[in-house]
Amino acid sequence: MKKILESEMNIVSTVNLACPLDLKSIALQARNAEYNPKHFAAVIMRISEPRTTALIFSSGKMKLGFPAKFLDFKIQNVVGSCDACFPIHLEGLVLITSSSPELFCGLIYRMVKPRIVLLIFVSGKVVLTGIKERSEIYEAFENINPILKGFRKQ
Amino acid sequence: VTMRKCKNCGGTDIDVDQARGDAVCMGCGSVLEDNIIVSEVTFVENSGGGSSAVGQFVAGDSSGNVPSLGGNFHTGVGRESRAATLQNAKRQINHLGHQLQMNQHCLDTAFNFYKMALCKHLTRGRKSSHVIAACLYLVCRTEGTPHMLLDLSDLLQVNVYVLGKTFLVLARELCINAPAIDPCLYIPRFAQMLEFGEKSHEVSMTALRLLQRMKRDWMHTGRRPSGLCGAALLVAARMHEFRRTIKEVISVVKVCEATLRKRLNEFEDTPTSELTIEEFMRVDLEQECDPPSYTAGLRKQKLKQVTHQMDEIEVELESCRPKARGIYASCSKDGTVFTHNPEGEDDELRAAASHLCSTICGEDGDGNEQDRDGEKVSPTKRPSLALLLGALPTAASLGLPESITKMREEKENGRSAENGELDLSGIDEDEIDRYILNEKEVKVKTELWMLQNADYLKEQKEKEERIAKEKEEGTYKERKPRKKARRREPINASTADEAIEKMLEQKRISTKINYDVLKDLNKSSPKSPTRQTDESSAGAKRTPTARQRKPQLTSPKIGKMISSFGKRYGMELMMQKNLCYVKSFILSTPTEKSLLSKNTLKYILIGFDSSTLCNITRQTDNLEWGDFVCTENGLL
Repeated sequence: MKKILESEMNIVSTVNLACPLDLKSIALQARNAEYNPKHFAAVIMRISEPRTTALIFSSGKMKLGFPAKFLDFKIQNVVGSCDACFPIHLEGLVLITSSSPELFCGLIYRMVKPRIVLLIFVSGKVVLTGIKERSEIYEAFENINPILKGFRKQ
Repeated sequence: VTMRKCKNCGGTDIDVDQARGDAVCMGCGSVLEDNIIVSEVTFVENSGGGSSAVGQFVAGDSSGNVPSLGGNFHTGVGRESRAATLQNAKRQINHLGHQLQMNQHCLDTAFNFYKMALCKHLTRGRKSSHVIAACLYLVCRTEGTPHMLLDLSDLLQVNVYVLGKTFLVLARELCINAPAIDPCLYIPRFAQMLEFGEKSHEVSMTALRLLQRMKRDWMHTGRRPSGLCGAALLVAARMHEFRRTIKEVISVVKVCEATLRKRLNEFEDTPTSELTIEEFMRVDLEQECDPPSYTAGLRKQKLKQVTHQMDEIEVELESCRPKARGIYASCSKDGTVFTHNPEGEDDELRAAASHLCSTICGEDGDGNEQDRDGEKVSPTKRPSLALLLGALPTAASLGLPESITKMREEKENGRSAENGELDLSGIDEDEIDRYILNEKEVKVKTELWMLQNADYLKEQKEKEERIAKEKEEGTYKERKPRKKARRREPINASTADEAIEKMLEQKRISTKINYDVLKDLNKSSPKSPTRQTDESSAGAKRTPTARQRKPQLTSPKIGKMISSFGKRYGMELMMQKNLCYVKSFILSTPTEKSLLSKNTLKYILIGFDSSTLCNITRQTDNLEWGDFVCTENGLL
């Protein structure tokens, strides 16, 4: 059987810098920061190595798009994607998961054991979200693998 | 029947007379009970002379909260909230259902779903119309009626995705897995709308056959069934020589033109589209296609691979080709490129290129056998290339997963020991320096930012000014953080003077009142003797705060104001020296209220007898604007 690929797409986490920040001065002195107080009360800073986007609030709480090293670092959400490399028969799965093709082209599968939501598409691509730890990805993977193979086309 | 014992003689022979309502001991004759409560049907006489039974109808499944006598009459009819909700829901379901031409069985099922939803508290926080629509759609799905969620949202004028969300929640909570909609269900309905006349049945049959073919070619998974129906009907119509345009079809089927075209294109890609009409009706091809998104994905992957390899070759070639330096660099742009190892490397390069070509062609031929890891490069394929071209630039994709795992490991091992201090070792210093702007750039950016956010800055400035002004005037209210207002302690004073003094100290007083005059007012009060019994106190009914500034009031002014007030409301004002007694003072409208502030009213009260003053002042401190009560005696 073919190998199933996976790649991490996005990690959302929060961190506490434990010091109040002056957003205006940060925004004006950094090249890679944007600050639009009318719409959103935080500075948006982007770094290319590693590729992350950070939301910096005036209270000192930061939201990151990739792991970093700070105080109180906590990962809130990890999104991953993988490819089953074979087409999947969604109609059979709909009976288990109750998702409507009219509303969304993929199937929404809510796994119970690691509490993760998987979006399964007919092309074989699967998006996992709501993950808190890396181990959960593999666990969810191993759970969904036999199911997907069972609903494989042909 | 349990025998009761007589209290006096202990006898058990007790005669209960229902008519008289007595329980009498037969032994000693003592009356044990009087006015026994009888639970029989009683009758009362109507005005017309007839008699009717006494009692109320109570629903069998009600919790039994009988409306109290003279109490709230909302439940006076005998119905309670839950029954009312259910009745309302039933009415709405029937209303919607009849508009959709659903039969009674479906409507009853929908009502049952609603009852279940109600038990699970799914109606809380949702519009009842949404929940009812979701129940109806659930019935449609389970029964397999040709109703779309779009129809329901059309009727309700609600966004279809909002309805869909409610529907999904409902289906999940009720653990009902509705089977996926089969597009074939919609064909008769749409065919009718497209008005094919007598040939309607034939066209439907053809469209059904087309749909089945599409299903076998995996075009229907994850797609709106209505889009497929539209495509099938369009083709079927053309096959039977009906000139139905795309516009007509989409107006019936409710998808957009782009979707329809895409479906037609996808169908075109399948081998079935090559058949003629007669062949199609007779023959069913064995081969099944892959879903279009899957094939598109494969194609994209292949493309990426090819371009990736081509890029690598380019880079290698560049590095191998030595660059001409010096003043002659410009001359040798496309001219003489001299190589260090003349023939060998060229040969190697050529061999490499040919090898690559063969591998790419090989992939096309084999299809699925080559490495699918688009980014990772399997080692078995590459050794020859690597040898030939030297160290390939390590593809970022190759190194990325490794770097991620490395970093994670480091993070788990080393960083947890820190006390939260920043570990700056991993940061690229140059990059950070690049991010910090120099002074000139800061100035430019500041200007730009100020321009962009001018509105916001203006708002902020105004807000601050407003706060400063209010602070000055002493009416600044701290909106955040929300703390409960401190309740002031009542002033304990022995005389009215003391009380007033204390109050003046404590309270934030208006600047418009001349307090000295008021103090004088108070001092002259002991002269007026017993007036308790006669006068009435000033009172005001509950009024919302609408305080405004009044002109500075001195004693005559107060008097004048009160007299003008009095004239407005027809009050009786008794002026005695500098004192004013106000009788039955009622403020009814906001404009009138604004003329009198809380403070003046209090001071008007001060114009009462000294004997009542202590009470009044003690209480006025704790009273709010709306707490004055009309009384007769002058005591509040």
